[in-house]
Amino acid sequence: MENKVQFKVYGKYALFTDPLTKIGGEKCSYQIPTYQALKGIMESVYWKPTIVWIIDKVRIMKSIRTQTRSAKPINYGGGNSLAIYTYLSDVEYQVQAHFEWNLNREDMVKDRNENKHFFVAKRMIERGGRRDIFLGTRECQGYVESCDFGEGEGFYDSYGELAFDLMFHGFDYPDELGENKLQARFWRPKLVNGIVEFNRPEECINKFVKLMMAAPPISIGLQEEGILEGYSQEEALQ
Amino acid sequence: MSWMQKLYETYENCASAKDTSLLSICHTTQKAQIEIIIDNAGNFNRARVIAKDQARTIIPCTESSGGRAGIKPEAHPLCDKLQYLAGDFAIYGGEVTKGYAKNPTEPYEKYTELLQQWCDSEFTHPKAKAVFEYVKKGNLIKDLVESKVLFLDDNKKLLKEWRGDTKQEVPEIFKVTQNSIQGDAFARWIIEIPTDPQSAVWTDESLFDSWTRFYLSTKKTSGLCLVTGVNIALSDQHPAKIRNDGDKAKLISSNDISGFTFRGRFLSAEQACGVGFEVTQKAHNALRWLINRQGYRRGDLAIVAWSTVGKKIIDPLADPYSIFNIDEMESDSEILAATTQELAIKLNKKIAGYQGEIGNTAGVVVMGLDSATPGRMAMTFYRELTDSDFLHRIEDWHKSCCWIHNYHSKEIIDKKTGKKQKIKVRLVGAPTPNDIVEAAYGSKVDDKLRKTTVMRILPCIIDGEKIPRDLVESVVRRAINRGAMEAWEWNKTLSIACALYRKYQEKENYEMALDEKRAKRDYLYGRLLALADGLEEWALRQGGENRQTNAARLMQRFADHPFTTWPTIELALLPYKARLGKKTAKIEGLISKVTAMFEPDDFISDKKLSGEFLLGYHCQREARWYEKSIDKEIISEIEEEIV
Repeated sequence: MENKVQFKVYGKYALFTDPLTKIGGEKCSYQIPTYQALKGIMESVYWKPTIVWIIDKVRIMKSIRTQTRSAKPINYGGGNSLAIYTYLSDVEYQVQAHFEWNLNREDMVKDRNENKHFFVAKRMIERGGRRDIFLGTRECQGYVESCDFGEGEGFYDSYGELAFDLMFHGFDYPDELGENKLQARFWRPKLVNGIVEFNRPEECINKFVKLMMAAPPISIGLQEEGILEGYSQEEALQ
Repeated sequence: MSWMQKLYETYENCASAKDTSLLSICHTTQKAQIEIIIDNAGNFNRARVIAKDQARTIIPCTESSGGRAGIKPEAHPLCDKLQYLAGDFAIYGGEVTKGYAKNPTEPYEKYTELLQQWCDSEFTHPKAKAVFEYVKKGNLIKDLVESKVLFLDDNKKLLKEWRGDTKQEVPEIFKVTQNSIQGDAFARWIIEIPTDPQSAVWTDESLFDSWTRFYLSTKKTSGLCLVTGVNIALSDQHPAKIRNDGDKAKLISSNDISGFTFRGRFLSAEQACGVGFEVTQKAHNALRWLINRQGYRRGDLAIVAWSTVGKKIIDPLADPYSIFNIDEMESDSEILAATTQELAIKLNKKIAGYQGEIGNTAGVVVMGLDSATPGRMAMTFYRELTDSDFLHRIEDWHKSCCWIHNYHSKEIIDKKTGKKQKIKVRLVGAPTPNDIVEAAYGSKVDDKLRKTTVMRILPCIIDGEKIPRDLVESVVRRAINRGAMEAWEWNKTLSIACALYRKYQEKENYEMALDEKRAKRDYLYGRLLALADGLEEWALRQGGENRQTNAARLMQRFADHPFTTWPTIELALLPYKARLGKKTAKIEGLISKVTAMFEPDDFISDKKLSGEFLLGYHCQREARWYEKSIDKEIISEIEEEIV
């Protein structure tokens, strides 16, 4: 299956919030990006309901540095409160990902054209993505470029192993999980010479969060009447 | 690499350390004012008021009482304020907390209910039972009044304030309670059991243990702990009082109802995050203990570096003065004082010693805490390093950012008179972040600026980052502006400016001793100024005059326009040269020698001088003090001034 894509993403700041510090409001970043954040970036670059992006690995290119900034988050009842957020500063990551079919979307069966999705994804990476890219939170703008995973020199290339304790991995949403619930996933990452190889979502520790119904947009896939009007059948399937 | 996990590990590693300030879980500390002594059957023996310095008391608490606040504070289980302990509190006119005003006996009921649950459980303890037996009687205030701890007014109500004759001594209780309100006093217990030598409840470990086991047995909610990754009893609330006993800020709190922190995906804080009860208690206790023991604390900012195995490590924010024993740091010889070599040797020895002590298996964590609002605390700095990395960074910092400082002092005892005396010591080393802040922004620097600047310097020490340029420039600018400061402050700022500039221009590898071969413009101009300053000062001293030299007054102008200012200074030297006569030949010779070293173009350029000028100035001044050929008289005179 030729569906692996690689890209580089970088930015001035990043905030992959540690959930322990999130519920109080004084956000503090993890040292490395979470699976979910990278998946989000990949989905901003290119996504269709037909596919599910799986992140294989990430390479940390620059030394992990933090910077604190004062923030004025909005209060629910109006006005502001004050907080101190701790961001990662000057980050650059190389990411390798691949897509798989979302088997819960039977209606998209006709769209399972591997070449099409692969080439569009590659093209979108070259163009920096379809939507805004951000590193963890909305205020941390990021930029996507194509690259070969492993190219260039990274800060942690010969650093050996760096183990992290329990860390957030990602969410299982009902549309990809196939069950009516929201789950959070956790795992224990290892940074080996700058590279984190992600566990697949199924291999993580799960935490049930709440019941949630999948509400995908109603679609009849590519069978919709009139959608191919003006095109010949052969052209459309290419 | 999770801060909670590391703190938890530290607790587990250090729990056996017999240091009472590392609290057992489910316990907190309070300042107590009254001590009540009863026997094991719950009979009142006596009571007394506790002096302020003995007030710190370890008390058992529940989660909600440990972090209690607001108008209806929850009761602690064993020791608490009088409104909870005394059944007759309201009878004697005690004022309960606002939220209980409608039902003044509610605190007492809550307290006795909790205590009864504990006493009825399988984890009960004879001391808890004794206290329960006693408080059940509900005549605590009466007993306290009878033993003259509390005082009543004519209506048999608790006296609001002491209005006695001024000559008459004010009873202790009014001195130790907050706002002198007797009803606010906090009481602790001593239970005298003939066979038990451990009578105080706040030092009895079997009692701690009994409460902990009882409390854990009451915890029912369990779920995934985000620190350990296993399903255990989760915590409802997280402890406060991390930086000091009065600190209300929490590291983990839930703030969605007003603060909008996790809404959308989650409906409740439990869905968003859960931490095991034991984990959070232990982690917070460890942090509190570490900050107390070895942290830097100033205002809201707390910085602490620790080794997870609990061994003491070098404080990254200290100067060599406190890292080493001051006597170790004094120069063995005066000439050597001007080189980094001596410092390096001593530092190496010390660090090798540390390394041997800690071993290579442990990690070092550096953590900074700060809060923007009183209720919440943010982790503003977090690094994990191996201990050898940590020690090397500290070593690097002290070697590369050092200069000769004269502002340290130590106390000695005069052998003849036996009196304590403070004398100044010359010291080579890096200035502390605090000193740097004061050198850059003055000693009256705003607290916020101090905080942020210390936080900017910290990565320079821990990560080996470059020192911020604006900070260096600020210190240099202040050091040049000599007139704005007292002599001692200026001297301190000057040596700190030299240290920072040397660190900033690390590639140049400046010597701390006078580099006579260095022919850079800024350096030479600095030397010239020092020579002129020295000559004039000498002459003034000889004449018994005490005023600023021309060189000192014109320093700022000289730094901005050296070429046009130099003639003014040089011409002004003439009368002093005349006064001193032949003695000045040596200095005059030096001035011409230095002038001759300039490239002609450099000399006539009127460009502003860089911080290197201060290095030249300081080195030349230092050199003069130790130059043997200069009149002995000057040396002794100037040294008198230093000392």
